[in-house]
This record gives sequence, structure tokens and C-alpha cells, in this order.
Amino acid sequence: MRLGRAAVVLCALATAAHAQSPESLAWLKKIQEATRNLSYTGTFVYQQGGRSETSRITRLASADIEKLEVLDGLPRELVRSKDTVRCYLPEAKVVKVERRTPDRTFPALLPERINALARHYDIALGEARRIGGFECQSVKLTPRDDLRYGYHLYADRSSGMLIGSVTVDASGNAIEQFMFTQLTIGNVTPEMVKTRQAASDWRVEDAQAAPAKLTGWTLSSELPGFEKVVELKRRMESKPVGQVVYSDGLAAVSVFIEPLEGRRDPPRTGLASLGAIHIYTREVANHMVTVVGEAPAASVQRIANAVEYRRP
Amino acid sequence: MKERISALMDGELDERAADEATHALRGEGEALEAWRTYHLISDAMRDTRLLSAGFTARLAQRLANEPTVIAPANLRRAPVKRIAFAAAASIAGVGLVGWLAFAPQPQTSQPVAQAQSPAMKTIPLPSATNDYLLAHQGFSPRVSLQGMAPYVRTVAEHPVEPVK
Repeated sequence: MRLGRAAVVLCALATAAHAQSPESLAWLKKIQEATRNLSYTGTFVYQQGGRSETSRITRLASADIEKLEVLDGLPRELVRSKDTVRCYLPEAKVVKVERRTPDRTFPALLPERINALARHYDIALGEARRIGGFECQSVKLTPRDDLRYGYHLYADRSSGMLIGSVTVDASGNAIEQFMFTQLTIGNVTPEMVKTRQAASDWRVEDAQAAPAKLTGWTLSSELPGFEKVVELKRRMESKPVGQVVYSDGLAAVSVFIEPLEGRRDPPRTGLASLGAIHIYTREVANHMVTVVGEAPAASVQRIANAVEYRRP
Repeated sequence: MKERISALMDGELDERAADEATHALRGEGEALEAWRTYHLISDAMRDTRLLSAGFTARLAQRLANEPTVIAPANLRRAPVKRIAFAAAASIAGVGLVGWLAFAPQPQTSQPVAQAQSPAMKTIPLPSATNDYLLAHQGFSPRVSLQGMAPYVRTVAEHPVEPVK
């Protein structure tokens, strides 16, 4: 009898340990709302693999336009409006265009999905910390398995703006981070989110991405927690490419499928890394399959190895 | 051996015994385990800030990357001012932690990946990396927490595989 009661208590404790504190979920929502509803301009540092790059990000919330300018090296720019992302590459005089169609609403982290994140991550409030003059609250997302990375988020206590984010691997090593070194909230004019690049004579490369069924292509086994978000066809360097995206609600992995016909050289197969991004390339049924994702190498490789083609 | 390690930490061993104990620490055995555990305990008792996970491995890697000193200066026994020395060491420790905790380590992910799967061949980033990232980034839910910041990867100048 006593043992039974102890078991009940233990079970209750175990359930409580899995429940997320409402405060930490409220902080995630606060960060999300600040990111969407505030106008701001700030300089941030992106660090990965011993390299760091400084960029400026400016958002005009009333028009839902955001601009990213690379401040080191080539002055590349990205401008995102409600339905388009334009990428300005001055050295090649090229504008790359990604359009969003109504049934492809970006991105997937909706308020009701924040609660679902708790299935894959333990979400808890961490210590308070001062970053770049901002008093920050930290929110730690610790993965419940080794298929995904952990995230330490640092949000400004008053505005909710995400001041810093660190991606950590299973051993707790920081593998990538974004940190604002300066941030001004408000006072953004439409002029500030326009591109500075003279793009009238530049070549426009439209990816023409559109939802489509990639007939015959499947995964022999899905990665636990990663569900198919979208399946589409697009153009890349003027060649047709299929893309299937899987996500666990926070991390995403894309599978790109390109025909090998017409390629002069066989593709290089294997794993490449860029901070928290892993890229794994292999050949399947006379196609090059490239899996790109912000997930540990083993997860990206598992998805890549599960890709198969069955003649319909 | 555990008692010896404890005594070593407390500075209670004579030179020869200390040498033996230090030698034992070179192996990855019980002695090293005890050394780590006792330090952890003493840190906890003194309420010292704990090192982040993986600190040892990262410090070892940093040390491995340090240039080797070919001609070290002669070691001379100087009278050690214990308290000052210990204090300096602990301050240096905290400074290093603060700094390491916020500095992603180069190439951490690759050796880990290789350790998990020896068959995984590492290659340079594909020449179309930025195109893949631009196509991928729009579907990353992180954008709703972070705005466009993660897009910086799509325009960064990465050392990619040369286009043939």
C-alpha cells in the first residue's frame, strides 16, 4: 500500500517535471510578439566556427519589411517583405528572389505551436544576464533527445526583443551564436529598409518556388519529431530542384532533389558543416540528394539516408 | 590512491609522494576521476561558479592549438605565496569561463560527427550552399523568434568547393 502511494507520488513528480513552466512559454510568446510587432534597427554579430561577422538588421513593423545588411566584406543585402525575400549580391549584380504564396505561409512557429515544442524540448527560464546594455532574461530549450540542438535565448526584459541566441550541442558546447551589440527600438523610416544597391540593370533570378508533389520520393523512416511541412518545386541556377521541408517546430531540415542528367562531374558526396547547419549529399536513383538542416550531423545524415525513390 | 589525491589537493604530500600522485593522474583512471570529483565537491562547497559542460574538452583543444614553446625557461623553485596564487588562479578561471561560454569553438561539430559515424566523409561546403540556405531559411521557424538574423548565413562568404 505504502509502495503504491510512493509510486503515485513519483508519477506525479515525473509528470510535473515534464510540464513546462507557464513563465517560460510566456517568454517565448513575448519574444515572438516583439520580433513581429516592434520596429528596430541594430547591429549584431554572428559567430560560428571561430569566424564572426557583423550585420545590421532593420525592421519597419507597420509595413512588415525587414532588411539585413552585411557590414563586413561584400555589402550584401536581404530585404524581406510580406510575400518576398530579395537577396542583393553586388559582386555578381544579381538579385535572387524567393516568393511566398498564400498557402506557403512562413514560418511555422505559431503561438499554439509553442506549447507543442515541449514535446521535444524542455523549456525553462535561466539566469538573468546583462548583454550589450540590456537586462536580459534567458530561456533555455534543452532537447529531450540527441536528434536536435539546444538553444539559449536571451531576451530584453522590458521589450521582449531577442538580444542573443546561442545554439548548443549535446555536450553543451556553443556551436553558433547571434548577439546584438547595439539595438534601437523605434524611429525606423521607410527609407531605412530600402536596398542601397542600384539594382535596375541587375539580373533577377526568381526561384519560382511553388508547392508541388514530388512523385515517387519518400523517406523510408522519418526522423522522430520532424514532420513534413511543405513539398515544392523551385529553380536553382536555372535547373529544376525539388524541396521537402521537415520541422520539429523549431529546427528545420530541407531535402533538395536534383536530377544528375546534364551534370559534367559526379557530385561530391559526404558531410559539410557551417555552424549549426549540416549539409549531407548523396546520390539516389540518378539524382543528387542534398539535405540541409540546423540539426546535428547524425540527424541530417539519417534523413539523407532514408531518402528513397519508388517508381510510381 | 583516492586518499593520496585528496592529500595532494590539500598540499599534504612530500615531493616524492606528490610526484607519484601526479604521475597517476596522467592515466585516465581512478586517480583522475577522484581528482575531478574532489574538485567538483570543493567547488560546490565553496559555491564557486561551475564550469560549463564540455569545458575540459574545449580547454584541451585550446591548449592543443597553442604554439609549442621550444626552449622553455628553467624552472626555478620560487617561494610560492599560496593565497595570492590561488586567488589569481580562480580569477583567471572565471574570466576564461565567461569568455568560453560565449565563444563557439571552431570545428567542434565535425569531430563529434565523425566520432558518431566513422563512415561519414567530410567534404567542403557545396558551391551552391548559399542557394540551398536561402531556399531553406524561409521555412525555419526560428525566423519568427529572431527575425531575419539567421538569413545572414545565406549571404555570408563561406569557403566553398570551387566551381568546376
